[in-house]
Amino acid sequence: MTDWLGMLAPPRAPRPELRERVLARALAPRRRWVAPLAAAAVLVLALAGSAWWAYRRIGTLTAERDGLVARVEALQDTVATFIHGPATRLIQIPVSTGGRVGAVTIFDDSARHRWLVRCDGLAPNARDQAYQLWFITDKGMMTAALMPMDEDQPMVMALEMPPPARGHVLGAAMSIEPRAGSASPSGPMVFHLQL
Amino acid sequence: MTSPKRLSQVDQRSLERRLKSGDEHALAELYDHVATWVLGIAFRILHDEDEAEEVVGDVFEQVWHHIDQHDARRGPLVPWILWITRNRSLDALRRRRRWWRKGERWGQAQIAEGADVAPSALNAPHEAAVPGWPLHREVHAALAALPEEQRRVVTLSYFEGLSHREIARRLHQPLGTVKTRLRMAHQRLTDRLQHLKDWFE
Repeated sequence: MTDWLGMLAPPRAPRPELRERVLARALAPRRRWVAPLAAAAVLVLALAGSAWWAYRRIGTLTAERDGLVARVEALQDTVATFIHGPATRLIQIPVSTGGRVGAVTIFDDSARHRWLVRCDGLAPNARDQAYQLWFITDKGMMTAALMPMDEDQPMVMALEMPPPARGHVLGAAMSIEPRAGSASPSGPMVFHLQL
Repeated sequence: MTSPKRLSQVDQRSLERRLKSGDEHALAELYDHVATWVLGIAFRILHDEDEAEEVVGDVFEQVWHHIDQHDARRGPLVPWILWITRNRSLDALRRRRRWWRKGERWGQAQIAEGADVAPSALNAPHEAAVPGWPLHREVHAALAALPEEQRRVVTLSYFEGLSHREIARRLHQPLGTVKTRLRMAHQRLTDRLQHLKDWFE
C-alpha cells in the first residue's frame, strides 16, 4: 500500500494559470520528434545535394573525357593521314635557336592542302616573344601560326594551307616576333626555306 | 467543510477509459482532482516552486501520452500518478544534485521543512477545498503510527529517493538494520492502508 505514500506530502494549491499551461502542454502535439526529424531532413537534403552535385560533376567530367578522347582520336587520325598519306611530303629543317640545335619537320599533304608541323629542340621564348610560322607565297609572306613556347617540349600542330586565291605556297619561314604576333616578319629569322 | 465527494475506483476506471479514448475533458477533470497532490509531492521533494510546476507538466504529459501503460489490474489510477510524480521529482532532484553539488539551499530547505511529514502552512489550501484530504490524513496517521526510526527510513526512501545503502550512511546505521526497518514499515503501512481503495474528495 506504499503506492499511497505520496499522499503524505502536504497538498499545494497550484497557481490558477498552471492548469491551462499544463493542459496545453500535455494536449499539444508531441514535438519530441521535431528536432530529430529536422536533423534527419537536413541530412537527407545534404546527401541529396551531394549526390546531385556528384551526378552533375560526373556528367561534366564524362563529357570532358569523351571530348578529349574524340580529339585524341581525331589527332591520331590526322597524324596517321599525314604520315601514311601517299601525297605527303616530308620536309625536315634543321634550326638553331638560343645556341641549341633543333628541327622543324613539315608533313606537307598537298592532296588535302594541310601541313602537320612538328618542332623539336626549339629554345623557349622570352616572356614577350613567340615563334611565328609563315607561308611564303607568290603574293608575299602570310602568317601560318603563332607558337609561343614557354617550355622546352616538342610542339605539334596541324595547319590549313591558304586557298590558291590568296596565294600559292612556295615555302615556309619562321621568325621570332612579339608575343602578340606580327603582320609580316620583323624579328630574327629562324629559318627561311623555299620548297 | 463541504461534504466529501468520491472518486471511487469505478470513477477512476471511467476516467481512465475516457483518457484512453482521447477525451481531453477527462484530463482536465483529472487535473482538478489530483493537481494539488501532484504539486504537493513535487514540492515536497524539490522545495522549488518552478521545478515542482515543471514536474506537474511532465506528469500530466506522461499520463496523457502513456495512459495505455497503466494496468488497472495492478492498482487504481491515482496511486499510479502519485508514483509517476515521485519518480519524476526524484529525477529532477538527481539532475539538480549533479549540477548543484554544494547543496546549500537544499540543506536550508530541509531545515526549514522541519518535521518531514507535517503539512506546510505556506500555500497549503484549505482542507475542505482539497480533493483527497481525508486520504491524506489517513496516510499521515498510518505513518505517524510507525516508530520514529521506521518513519525516518520510509521518508528518506520515498521523498529523497535514497537507496538502502545511502539511507544507512545518512543515518549511520547498519545496512541490514535499514532494510529490516523498511520491510517492517512497509508491512505495517500495508496492513493499515489496505482498506484504501477509493479516492475521497
